[in-house]
Amino acid sequence: MKFTCNAKDMASAVTSASRVVNTHTTVPILANVLLDAKAGRVRVRATDLELTLENSLAAEIHEEGQCTLPARQFSGYLANLPPAPLHVQGTNNRATVKCERSNYEFFTLPPAEFPPLPEGQSGVQFRVEAKAFRDAANAVTFAASNEEARGAVLMGTLLELAGSTLTVVATDGYRLARYRVPLPEPVREPLKLIVPARGLGEVVRTAGEGQIEATVIGGQANQLVFHTGDAKISARLVDGTYPNYQQVIPTDFDKKVVASTQKLLGCLRRAGIVADNRASMVKLALDGASLVITASSDTTGNAYEELDVERTGDPLTIAFNSKFLIEILNHIESETVTLEFAAALRPAAIRPTDPAAAERQLYILMPLRQ
Amino acid sequence: MQRHGDAASRVRRRSGVLATVILHADLDAFYASIAQRDDPRLRGQPVIVAGSSRRAVVLTASYEARKSGVHSAMPLFMARERCPQAIVVPPDFARYRAVHESVFAVFKAHARAVEGLSLDEAFLDLDDVTVPAAVLVGRRIKDEVRREAGITVSVGIATGKMVAKIASDDGKPDGLVAVAPGTEASYLAPKPVRRLWGIGPKTEARLRAQGIERIGDLASLPDERLVALFGAWGVELRNLALGIDPRPVVEEWETRSISTEETFEHDVTGKARLGDVLASQAREVAQRLRSQGLLAQTVGVKVKLANRSVRGRQTSFVEAVDDAPTIERAAWYCLERIVLDKPVRLLGVRATNLRAGDRRQTEFFDALGT
Repeated sequence: MKFTCNAKDMASAVTSASRVVNTHTTVPILANVLLDAKAGRVRVRATDLELTLENSLAAEIHEEGQCTLPARQFSGYLANLPPAPLHVQGTNNRATVKCERSNYEFFTLPPAEFPPLPEGQSGVQFRVEAKAFRDAANAVTFAASNEEARGAVLMGTLLELAGSTLTVVATDGYRLARYRVPLPEPVREPLKLIVPARGLGEVVRTAGEGQIEATVIGGQANQLVFHTGDAKISARLVDGTYPNYQQVIPTDFDKKVVASTQKLLGCLRRAGIVADNRASMVKLALDGASLVITASSDTTGNAYEELDVERTGDPLTIAFNSKFLIEILNHIESETVTLEFAAALRPAAIRPTDPAAAERQLYILMPLRQ
Repeated sequence: MQRHGDAASRVRRRSGVLATVILHADLDAFYASIAQRDDPRLRGQPVIVAGSSRRAVVLTASYEARKSGVHSAMPLFMARERCPQAIVVPPDFARYRAVHESVFAVFKAHARAVEGLSLDEAFLDLDDVTVPAAVLVGRRIKDEVRREAGITVSVGIATGKMVAKIASDDGKPDGLVAVAPGTEASYLAPKPVRRLWGIGPKTEARLRAQGIERIGDLASLPDERLVALFGAWGVELRNLALGIDPRPVVEEWETRSISTEETFEHDVTGKARLGDVLASQAREVAQRLRSQGLLAQTVGVKVKLANRSVRGRQTSFVEAVDDAPTIERAAWYCLERIVLDKPVRLLGVRATNLRAGDRRQTEFFDALGT
């Protein structure tokens, strides 16, 4: 393998692929990136077997072939190079890398040891606008569980395709996030896929403008492959059945508050500082035309915040983990937010007041016992 | 953590007429007694309280069963061989908990401080009283426990914790033994060294090899031999052998972890067979967390293999937990990630990162059906 490319292009391709490399791996080849030079391009690939990232860049190929380099050291080297031509020549066990007057030799591992791309029958394909998908993934993945003991299903994000809509859902059992994205072309069959939340995180980081094309690779491989620009992200799909999330979205709300998203966030951020660090509890009291937010702790003191709101329904006092509520409000895509309640120990709904945004975005949050 | 009686006042008391008197109270065959109390058909019969699994161990045996050589921690199948007529009943922790509370309320009414050792055992600090006065208190406690809870308690009274505990053991069942101040050493002298705190089978064997069998033998050793045998611990051990034991009754130890473990009579191969032991351990840990009003942020599993190597794995939660299903799920998660390449000798579940409080965050987990 022998090629010449721009050092900066190579640096960004290797750095972004390396994000998936686990430096503590017990399988040495997984600490390396694979370079594959072919037909005017070099593809750079890294994998931890659950997630595979591949970027490609233009290059002048002198000799087609493959080579694997240690990801961390190679990306560290590249990051400190000027944007000059980079000459790379590799064999099974050595790679020489030259840029201006710098001349390095890296020890490599045979490319044949590098895990092959997951193969299988290509199944359903769908396309989605990159920006809309990024917004959806950003607004949802934070609600996925990071408790390993809860299992891979809740650590994943549900992609539900039906007709012309992609619904993205995540829940950790305490809160649930749902976001709808229109599909440019409808899907023929409804489909549910559970993708590891960190896989979507990589798509968000990588996707630029334009469209993302996603392909399900069935069989043993069981992957969802996202193509965006010059990048390809394959995520191993989670086996299992996603809980029926519709069941936890109440339909009998009879109390409603509409507030300025930023002002409410300000109140909660301040009160959250005082909130007892046990469950970060803030209490929301709905009465009259104001929303009163209180928090207290044995060690810090007491917080009292009052906010003018539009309100309907009976008075109610309900408690939440301020961190959960703040995280949700941080993602609300509208200047005002609507909070709906049924009772102090029943789930609450939080959504943008703007009708178009409300159609896309919904959060359900379980309260705290007071 | 609250300590009663600083060192200076303790020394003062020791040199005066009045000394702090410690009472050790131990419910007799607690679980079995409750079973016999609630079911007249079990009275006078050999009763064994044990789980239902094939590898279950004896939790408690009634005195009738103990006559046949059955003792707690013995594998159930062995207990059945020794006492085929025994009636095996399952444990009922909710009931034990209720009895524990009524019995400890009696203890608290008579003591300056109560240090619970388990559901059925406690040290009571009776403050500065004479031993005859303490004996009257002990009789009242026995009467009130019988009246309140319908079971018997054995009581030991002495100036130090260890002697009080040895005395209550000597009086079992339903006894009351008081050791007068100044007679501790002569009371202990004829007993085997094994009954001292800190002397296990290994130390006992070492002592026996030196011709030291009785506590009195140990008490009369010169300092240099003690230090040669045990290092710095030797002097402490001799003080214990003389009945000098200044450790105060501590109302509440700060609990850092709650754990339970079981050593199998026969090494167990395969994770599936460990399942019901793990489940019952998770239930016990949850029960003990709740009984102390604690929540655990982290749950771990410990395994000792046939070659005595110890392996473990732990996992943490976003919200601290105290419920058996969640702890069991987390324990399973950990067990599945421990490499068991040899038969298992010991299995344990441990809850750490404890904090006080009730579980406040509600969840829609059950509603989701996962």
